[in-house]
Amino acid sequence: MNGCGLYVHVPFCDSKCGYCDFYSVALKGRSAGPLVTRTIQELGLRTLGGAAIETVFVGGGTPTVLPIDDFRRLFAALDGVVGAHAVVEFTVEANPATLDDQKLSVMTAAGVNRLSMGAQSWHVDELAALERLHSPDDIAPGVAMARRHGIGNINLDLIFGIPGQTVQRWAESLRRTIDLGVEHIACYGLTYEPGTRLTAQRAAGRVTPCDDGIETDMYGVALETLAQNGYGQYEISNFARAGGACRHNMMYWRNRSYIGVGPSAAGCVNRRRYKNVADVAGYIRRMDADGMAEAESEHLTREMFAGEMLLMQLRLTDGLDVTAFRQATGLETGSAFGGRLDDFAERGLLRITEDGIALTWAGTLAADWVIAELYAAMDLSGAESQHVASAIG
Amino acid sequence: MTDQRLIRNFGIIAHIDHGKSTLADRILERSGAISKREMREQFLDDMDLEREMGITIKANRATVRHVHKGEEYMLNLIDTPGHVDFHYEVSRAMAACEGVLLLVDASQGVQAQTVANAYIATDANLEIIPVINKIDILGAHPDEVALEVEQVLGLAADEALFVSGKTGQGIDELFAAICERIPAPGGDRAAPLRALIYDAKSDPHRGIICHVRMVDGCIKRGDAIHMMRGGSDQIVTEVGKCTPKPTPMPDLSAGEVGYVLAGIKTLADVNIGDTITHEKHGATDPLPGYKTPQQMVYCDFYPGPGTTTQGLREAMERLWLNDSSFTYGPTSSDALGVGFRCGFLGLLHMKIIQERLERESDVSLVQTAPTVTYEIVLRTGEVVTILSPSQMPDPSHIEEIREPFCRASVIIPVDCVGTLMTLALERRGTQTGTEYLSKTRVMLRFEFPLGEIIYDFYDKLKSITRGYGTVDYEVTGFRAGQLVKMDILVNAVPVDALSIIVHRDKALFRGRRLVSRLRKEIERHQFEIPIQAAIGGKIIARETIKGFRKNVTAKCYGGDVTRKRKLLEKQKEGKKRMKQVGMVSIPQEAFMAVLDPGDD
Ligand SMILES: Nc1nc2c(ncn2[C@@H]2O[C@H](COP(=O)(O)OP(=O)(O)O)[C@@H](O)[C@H]2O)c(=O)[nH]1
Ligand code: SF4
Repeated sequence: MNGCGLYVHVPFCDSKCGYCDFYSVALKGRSAGPLVTRTIQELGLRTLGGAAIETVFVGGGTPTVLPIDDFRRLFAALDGVVGAHAVVEFTVEANPATLDDQKLSVMTAAGVNRLSMGAQSWHVDELAALERLHSPDDIAPGVAMARRHGIGNINLDLIFGIPGQTVQRWAESLRRTIDLGVEHIACYGLTYEPGTRLTAQRAAGRVTPCDDGIETDMYGVALETLAQNGYGQYEISNFARAGGACRHNMMYWRNRSYIGVGPSAAGCVNRRRYKNVADVAGYIRRMDADGMAEAESEHLTREMFAGEMLLMQLRLTDGLDVTAFRQATGLETGSAFGGRLDDFAERGLLRITEDGIALTWAGTLAADWVIAELYAAMDLSGAESQHVASAIG
Repeated sequence: MTDQRLIRNFGIIAHIDHGKSTLADRILERSGAISKREMREQFLDDMDLEREMGITIKANRATVRHVHKGEEYMLNLIDTPGHVDFHYEVSRAMAACEGVLLLVDASQGVQAQTVANAYIATDANLEIIPVINKIDILGAHPDEVALEVEQVLGLAADEALFVSGKTGQGIDELFAAICERIPAPGGDRAAPLRALIYDAKSDPHRGIICHVRMVDGCIKRGDAIHMMRGGSDQIVTEVGKCTPKPTPMPDLSAGEVGYVLAGIKTLADVNIGDTITHEKHGATDPLPGYKTPQQMVYCDFYPGPGTTTQGLREAMERLWLNDSSFTYGPTSSDALGVGFRCGFLGLLHMKIIQERLERESDVSLVQTAPTVTYEIVLRTGEVVTILSPSQMPDPSHIEEIREPFCRASVIIPVDCVGTLMTLALERRGTQTGTEYLSKTRVMLRFEFPLGEIIYDFYDKLKSITRGYGTVDYEVTGFRAGQLVKMDILVNAVPVDALSIIVHRDKALFRGRRLVSRLRKEIERHQFEIPIQAAIGGKIIARETIKGFRKNVTAKCYGGDVTRKRKLLEKQKEGKKRMKQVGMVSIPQEAFMAVLDPGDD
């Protein structure tokens, strides 16, 4: 129960998708070796401490694009970590088209037991609009291959609100994903992040975002269809069959500690947050010069932590854990939010019980607003962060 | 003790920017009162805010020596406030003088404040010396300006002086004129003490400094004194003169100008215009002309987020002890909570107080629209004064509603008369006179309901006259009008801070305009927000702010929490400038939107 998570960021992809704002670069022609070496180095340093690691998540980027030798080295190092801890969930992100038997063997040998794949859509034109490289035909074989290697826990990511997408076609993508019998499905609404190609295209008028109302309907369809097929919602975008919730992501959402390794990775250990340099060359340089590559770090005050609990936990279907909140912050939920909880409950946006404060269906649709309002109502006066510039951890 | 015959008490009056401060500096410098080294630019304007806003808020003063025809004169310069909002203070400062220098910019010519100030000086029977300033600048036409002065104010053009405060040209003649043309003060040094308090300042170390004009008698340290209007008694701890630094003197006697310290702690304990006399063998009649300052413009200050009512109260108290020209009292609003209703001499005054509060006490304020006071005649015959639309009695009890009127003089280029008349009509003005200053400039006189011009009349005037127009006004009294109270409902909740009193004929127009402005000022919320204008329960205008259907980020919400928290913090910061009414956040701008009379 007191374990922490470990996240490893592999910042390479085959090519950059138009909507993506994760830190990743196209690998083409580059050597991944130097980066993998530093990542392994950081991994060693960060896992030296006593904290028990319970979950591992290798994401990116697309970890599976690493050349096989680098891939092996990274997973051998991770194997070492897993061996030393009681890891219960070990996830790797993959794109359906980048999986092969060799890499799957490497992964399973290291203890990987969960795969998260970016399916996104079952329609060629939608995948093209997202600038994804794979084809709908890659999805089922990818899942089948993983199954052959004994991966018992698979997630598929789907995106709704794609320009040109209709509710019906979205329902189709959902249906076909469900038919594959995966344990976990994540449904993300397409967002226009600053600095992405997609956002530039929208600004230039070449892309027309999906209508607000249609997107709402799509979200509703997802909730309904998934529920009917035994996928329970446990977070705004995440659905799982019984027992299939992603334990690693729950670490984030329950404000537990986690270690982040690799360029742009963020970590939070004992209420000290840090974020690594989001740049491969810069990361390598800092690792070599300082032995760490943090771009920023801050110590969370009690009030800041309370704010983070609100913002993360309200996204969960079970909501904010009142007891945990009290224990972690010494604050009472009744008073911490300027007495506004009841306002929202009266409007049918929040469900308040003895041990939890959760969004209702109507509240879920308005989650950003409800969270912003409650956050604004909090007295964070003790909340100046002590910003520590890129010092060694 | 200076021979009364050799004392000259004078002020400088001018339209803003016509060079009053510069000339005052020059006079101090020329008389050697302060050396060049000591000379800060514009020594007399000593508040930062004044400097920033480019106006003189509080009168300052200095006593200098000048030798004229072999005799040493004592010249007391009394610097008067320049803005229309401070009429009473100007009149008290002038009551301390025997003469004034009426300063007129040689390129700008006579402006509205020139006229207004000259009238006050005439009323006070002062010797007025027209001084045409800035003759050094290109485009100066001093002779024409002197003729304008003659035309409008009846002051002979050939008696005008021509100077430049900047180069010092004409300053010697100016000194000579002060000595020769301004009468020596009268007053009986043997009579019981009467000293006019024409200004008072708070000093952090010395308490309250009363600036006085000695009318009769003599005052010295240790005297037991009595405030004839305020009624309090004090012991004098120091008397002195400003040279311009406060310099103690053994005594002050009739005809002189100086300051008195008497252990007074707060400005609230001093009334400008009050008469000081001795506790024993005092004078029987106070000096005439005393008025309690009349606040004409009211608005509410509510604590914004991060500020408590108590915090705001303390900030107001602190400021009030320093500047009691405004009033404040508790008020509350269903929509905005507990705050303060504040009275000001005018709009500029309001702005100054608001900025000083925010700056000096670091409080955040939500300010409601300024309104004027109204007199309500009830069916019972009783007359009540209301300070805000929310105090309006039930319409069934009202016989009539009276609003304050003012007399305004507007000076504009002749070719702008048409546009000005349109504006004046929209503001329910009636023209009462026209005077030509020259072939190109004209002075129009109007009567306006004060409420129609307090907000943006000045800006409008400036824009229609390309900056050349000037206005000055004086409140004359209350008159009955066809007035109604208009309520604004946001999401079905009446927001009393948004209600206004309007003329019946303009209600529909203002109502429509207002709800449409509010629709733009208030952001979309999660739900639909109706905005309505209503008179006596009847909706006359309505707009709707559409709600969001969906407001949720359904994305991969991973470990980079700092970024998410920063975003929420930014939103929270933005909300600080808002007021929460039910579930609706109303930005400060919305409260100012009610001001907009909507003629553009
Ligand atoms: N050229 C010129 N400029 C002047 C003269 N007197 C004042 N000014 C300028 O006019 C502006 C307003 O002067 P100021 O003394 O602040 O005016 P006040 O508002 O009447 O106190 C300033 O920029 C001064 O430098 C003058 O005699 N000649
Ligand atoms: S594959 Fe994933 S990480 Fe890579 S660019 Fe596309 S969305 Fe971003």
